[in-house]
Amino acid sequence: MNLETREENGVVIFELDGEVDLETSPQLRAALLQHVNAGKAVCVGMKDVAYIDSSGIASLVEAYQSGRRNSTGFALASISDSALRVLQLARLDKVFTIHDTIDAAVGELTT
Amino acid sequence: MEQIVYESMSVGIKDQVNLLASMTAEFANTLNVDETLQRALPQITDYLKAEGSAVFLLDETTQVITCVACYGATEITGLTLEYGQGIVGKCVATNEGALVRDVKNDPDFYGAVDNQTGFTTRSILCAPLSVKDRCVGAIELVNKKNQDDLFEETDLKILETLSASAALAVINARMAKALVEQERVKRELELAADIQRRFLPDPSNAQNDQSQICGVNKAARGVSGDFFDYFTLPDGRIYFALGDVSGKGINASLLMSKTASLFRCLGKTVRDPGKLLGRINAELCETAAQGMFVTMVAGLYDPRPGCEGMIRISNAGHEPVLLYCDDEFKTFGASGPPLGIVPPLPGEDGAYEEEQIFPNHGSLYIYTDGLTEGYTKSGDPLEDKGVQKILRDHSDASLPTQLECLVSAVSHPGMKLRDDVTVLALTDSQRPLEDKQHTEAHHSDVEDEESDGDWLIDFKFPAQPSWMKLARACVRESCVKVGCDDRLINDVVLAVDEACQNVIRHAYGGPSDEEIELTVRHRPGRLVFRLRDFAPLVEPSKIKPRDLDDIRPGGLGTHLIQEVMDDVRYLRPTQGEGNLLRLVKNIDINKG
Repeated sequence: MNLETREENGVVIFELDGEVDLETSPQLRAALLQHVNAGKAVCVGMKDVAYIDSSGIASLVEAYQSGRRNSTGFALASISDSALRVLQLARLDKVFTIHDTIDAAVGELTT
Repeated sequence: MEQIVYESMSVGIKDQVNLLASMTAEFANTLNVDETLQRALPQITDYLKAEGSAVFLLDETTQVITCVACYGATEITGLTLEYGQGIVGKCVATNEGALVRDVKNDPDFYGAVDNQTGFTTRSILCAPLSVKDRCVGAIELVNKKNQDDLFEETDLKILETLSASAALAVINARMAKALVEQERVKRELELAADIQRRFLPDPSNAQNDQSQICGVNKAARGVSGDFFDYFTLPDGRIYFALGDVSGKGINASLLMSKTASLFRCLGKTVRDPGKLLGRINAELCETAAQGMFVTMVAGLYDPRPGCEGMIRISNAGHEPVLLYCDDEFKTFGASGPPLGIVPPLPGEDGAYEEEQIFPNHGSLYIYTDGLTEGYTKSGDPLEDKGVQKILRDHSDASLPTQLECLVSAVSHPGMKLRDDVTVLALTDSQRPLEDKQHTEAHHSDVEDEESDGDWLIDFKFPAQPSWMKLARACVRESCVKVGCDDRLINDVVLAVDEACQNVIRHAYGGPSDEEIELTVRHRPGRLVFRLRDFAPLVEPSKIKPRDLDDIRPGGLGTHLIQEVMDDVRYLRPTQGEGNLLRLVKNIDINKG
């Protein structure tokens, strides 16, 4: 799982890949919360996420909730089919703000 | 002339009688023999006009003769002689007095003392301290004060007479000491028995008619080689055990104490009776001595709702355990040798086999052979038949009453017990009636499944997040094998992964080195996944899915499992401790 970030127009961008599971999700959670709690808008690109389980989803939910509390933006972008399926199963696909591309997400978050 | 002789003689006899009378009285009344001897010695020495004297006592265990008091001449208190050594030693050994007028000519004389002290011994008078054949020492006088005088036969007679009363005092003192010692040992035994009784559960429990479990231990002697014990685990299950150490007396009771402590201590963490007996066996094999061994039964009773009162029991060489249920008796015999005989093979845990008993609201009885071999009033042993008859006759009575009836059948007032009698009883009758059919249906289901279906995967792995990737790969592989499409594979992999996470979180309470066992079977039209752990039972209600409208992190896993799988059931493994989750996914392979 890649946790490298870059910043574009004040938005912190994650481009996750590989598997987000019980072993790796704690790192994701810590990284997301660090930026969200620092008052940054965060966009998580999920094009290359091969697998995500409930613990990974829980990390996204927690970041999303913190972002709402801090009034910083939090969005998901370009979600892989398998990750989208999990969000659907969890009935969360309508909760998150989901964009087709990272650029679209950044555009939305900076306005 | 004659008159004078007569008078001097009568004066001598009068003194002699006075001395004898006072000495005898003193020795008879003394509480401290050594002190009395010390005081009497000068009087005797002066009366017999000797230069010095000494009292020697024989240690009857070591046979060493030691000087305990001396007077005049030279200080030799503490000097030791061997049995038979020198004139004194010989006097003690032969229990005969000695009158040696000139020691130079006596082969028995032991000159070493004179050499050490510089004293010159010329003559010796020695009388044994004895009562009948028992000689406990000797009194020795050396040298008449007047160099020209010699000891006479009458001197020896007087010394012997005085010695006799001194000997009586010494022997009395020794007997008193032995009695005190005996009394001390007896008191210590009583203390030991008292401590031992404290190893057993609080007897006030046994008075309670409502008790689910109670035991009784009646020792044939003060201390017992039997024990029973039980305690409730934090999850509500009751751990119990009963043991019988080979042999009787202190050594048996010490081994009993050790075994009982091991049960209490190890039972808190080793929650499999078979493994527990294996551990205790290994400990006892390491340290038990003199061919002693322990027969023991250990069991775990589960009175919790949904657990059918299951008893897991393991029997190490003990009498068969008796189950009384629906007016029928069933016995469960030993599954291995007694503890302390066969050490486990290197690298193995040496666990004993376990048996599952469903008591069905009946009662379980464990007893030592002191009960079955105990004599009834008619003089015949009670035997198993007798035990069963008593239980049948009192089937409606409470456990404490039943135990009382059993014990009183073999213990009669004024008669010694043949052997320690120990009985432990457990009843399932207080467990509320529940949806038995429901759980039984699950059982038959489980058996059907296990004997049926194509084998796809058996995988055992530690309950660690780092193992999940491999577990998922296994599940994926088995789905591919039966021709599932990608979407179905992804869903199933996710659901099984979530189930494993639940085990790690809820059953083991976090990552653990304990294992998760995953099996996948292919039955017509469906895949059957079985996930088994070895943790204490988890109430399925604790892992209910959360309300999805309540958006928060966590609690999603169980929902995902139920969303994906067509059937989700929490079962209990047929062997040993743990939880079993059975997941079924219907598959329609012919689609493509």
